[in-house]
Amino acid sequence: MIWLNPAAWIGLLAIAGPIVIHILVQRKAERLAFPSLRFLQQGRLASIRRHLLEDVTLLAIRAAIVVAAVAALAGPLIVTRTQRQAWNARVVRAIVVADVARAALQPPVFLSQTFEAPAVADAIPRAVAWLENAPPARRELLIVGPLALGSVSADDLAVIPPGIGIRFGPSGGLPAERSIAGGRVLGMERDPSALREPQGRPEDTRGAAGSGSARALSKAEGLSRADGSGSIVVQQQVTLKDIQTSVQETGAAAPEAFPVDVICSIDARPIVDTAIAAARSQRVWAPAANRRGRLVLLDPSIDPSAVADGGPVTESWIADAVAAIARDRDLQAAGAQTPAGLSDPRFSAMPWQPLLLTPDGRPVAVAAASRASLVLVSSAPPSSLVTPLLLRAMVNALGGPPDLRQAEVLPIPESQLRAWSRPPASVTAPPVDRVERDDRRGLWVLVIALLALETWVRRAKDEEKTSTYEEDERVA
Amino acid sequence: MRRDSGIGIRDSAVCPSEVLARIADLELVARIVVEGLVSGLHRSPFHGYSAEFSQYRHYRPGDDLKYVDWKLVARTDRLYTKQFRETTNMAATLVLDTSASMSFPKAVSKYRYAMILSAALAHIVSSQGDAVGLVAGSRMIPARAGRHNLRALLAALSGVEASGQWNAAETVRRAGERLNRRGLLLVLSDFYDEEDATFNELKRAARMGHEVVLFQMMSREEVEFPYRRDFEFADLETGRTVSVNAGLARREYTDAVAAFLERCRRRAGAEGFQYSLIVTDTPPAHGLRNFLLARQR
Repeated sequence: MIWLNPAAWIGLLAIAGPIVIHILVQRKAERLAFPSLRFLQQGRLASIRRHLLEDVTLLAIRAAIVVAAVAALAGPLIVTRTQRQAWNARVVRAIVVADVARAALQPPVFLSQTFEAPAVADAIPRAVAWLENAPPARRELLIVGPLALGSVSADDLAVIPPGIGIRFGPSGGLPAERSIAGGRVLGMERDPSALREPQGRPEDTRGAAGSGSARALSKAEGLSRADGSGSIVVQQQVTLKDIQTSVQETGAAAPEAFPVDVICSIDARPIVDTAIAAARSQRVWAPAANRRGRLVLLDPSIDPSAVADGGPVTESWIADAVAAIARDRDLQAAGAQTPAGLSDPRFSAMPWQPLLLTPDGRPVAVAAASRASLVLVSSAPPSSLVTPLLLRAMVNALGGPPDLRQAEVLPIPESQLRAWSRPPASVTAPPVDRVERDDRRGLWVLVIALLALETWVRRAKDEEKTSTYEEDERVA
Repeated sequence: MRRDSGIGIRDSAVCPSEVLARIADLELVARIVVEGLVSGLHRSPFHGYSAEFSQYRHYRPGDDLKYVDWKLVARTDRLYTKQFRETTNMAATLVLDTSASMSFPKAVSKYRYAMILSAALAHIVSSQGDAVGLVAGSRMIPARAGRHNLRALLAALSGVEASGQWNAAETVRRAGERLNRRGLLLVLSDFYDEEDATFNELKRAARMGHEVVLFQMMSREEVEFPYRRDFEFADLETGRTVSVNAGLARREYTDAVAAFLERCRRRAGAEGFQYSLIVTDTPPAHGLRNFLLARQR
């Protein structure tokens, strides 16, 4: 048995009412003049207190009325096997559609509701919310549409509770073409190629962006940053049609901070700024705001604490970035021509990972992690080609090109759909506030019957008392 | 509750106690009781009086033929009836319990019933030419014959109310001593007070030569205790109270009362007293008739 409103049981305190009334309302013994008390036993004095026990039946009936009424208010629901079978025999279906016309062809069920949205993922939460508020029944969510790759993901389906079944109804043809948001590119406004179609290899693009964060610096070193003048952020829109892929840059946005802070000597700052501008001009991929890096151009004037916080790489995106930098062939070629490597032996050991090596095997640039950011230390002079190549490689590694594999105009594989599909679970614990009919009706009938019984018993007792009174009054 | 005495009195000829109790004139009440009673009696229940010849008078239709002097008829050829002058040789004293316990119940109290019974007895005794007296509370009417004395007795009866306590033994002793010769002592009481002392005085009166007749006055409520609710019973004489559930106490009470009445009856029989239990819901004529019939036997 399930109680739909268990808080109502607090009403059981009302039983105290009849009990208190029965205790307090004791009839006072009437005074009667009598010729002699010699035949009346004093021991019968206590028997007058037995009056309370005489009305136990009435008290029990009244208490039962209170209990039955409270139980009715608590909303009992007796879940029998038949009831459960009836619930399991019906289905409540939420249909998330991209094709309304095909959705109407679904077989009728106990209750159905259609949810439309431009993206299926947007309609799923609304459908789940509706299913959770539906009357007791097996619940399923039917996703109807072309089911192209990318239209439904495992993350979208993760919000569906396990008890709700998932079914897919492929319908309609795939779209002829598909446009998705591509990556963002850092570029220079003066660069006439900024609004042109970007090159297929972003690492070959040219551009520069200013650095945004600052750190306390000694007099001998400075934080190189670009002021951002002339820099822009370009949003790409990728359209896939058949075997063709076209990219459009939809517009320029406000300049963003350059995602890499460069720590160098004060003397080298102009050169470094030039290197940053050169990297911007190469149209590098703009990384997310929470992915940043730091490049330390090692110099005797640099505070050693600038590299003291290098630690092991624990974030996957940092590891990916390190690997991407190490794969940059231009950088590797330039690094091989660098005559001097890092002489400090600590950079030859963990957690520092070599990225570039001199011909004699000494590291030119090493990488590590520092407080969820990427740290690179380079022994190459700021004026060498290695520095702008390092900046470009870092920014491209932090950002990276968008994954266009999920944007292909192809249906989700049948095997994947089967893996995502599941039958609706049986009804175990129905939502108490959605049960159409509970069993309180029987209790209310019981309350009425008890009230009738109480009235009958009370009247019978009143008549008995009245006759007793009349008889006593007469003889008195 | 009307009960047939079983001696042939029709209920229609008997006035109920409730009706009698409403009649203020005690003499009238006595007449009503006695007239409804003597029609069934063939001879006087009281013995001991004698009649002395006084004169002749002419026979009138309806005169008892046994008083016709047949010898005179033979001599004179006329019918003459003998007339006698009654002489009294018996004195009766009514002793009436005036304690507050006699004022129960309210409708027809035991005292009112005893008053009616006393008036009827006095009427009977007086109508037979005997002397009758009264001792009721502080009032005392010496036993004398005659209508004037009867009226004085009835007036005294009317002027006494049942209240307070009653010194039964002392009253019986006084009544016995006031009877100069062997007489009849009629005691009407519930005998709640000083049971042993009262019976001792009654035995003393019997030893003095008096005939003792006891009328134990009880109400139906006292005998049967027909209450069921919780009551705080207050003693009419002492004011003491006892709270009981009447329904639960009933059996013990009725058993105790029955034992008390049986004890009174046995003690009276053992001493040679005539005993009558009078329940106040029966017509006074019933109890009186039973008593008189018992005396005739």
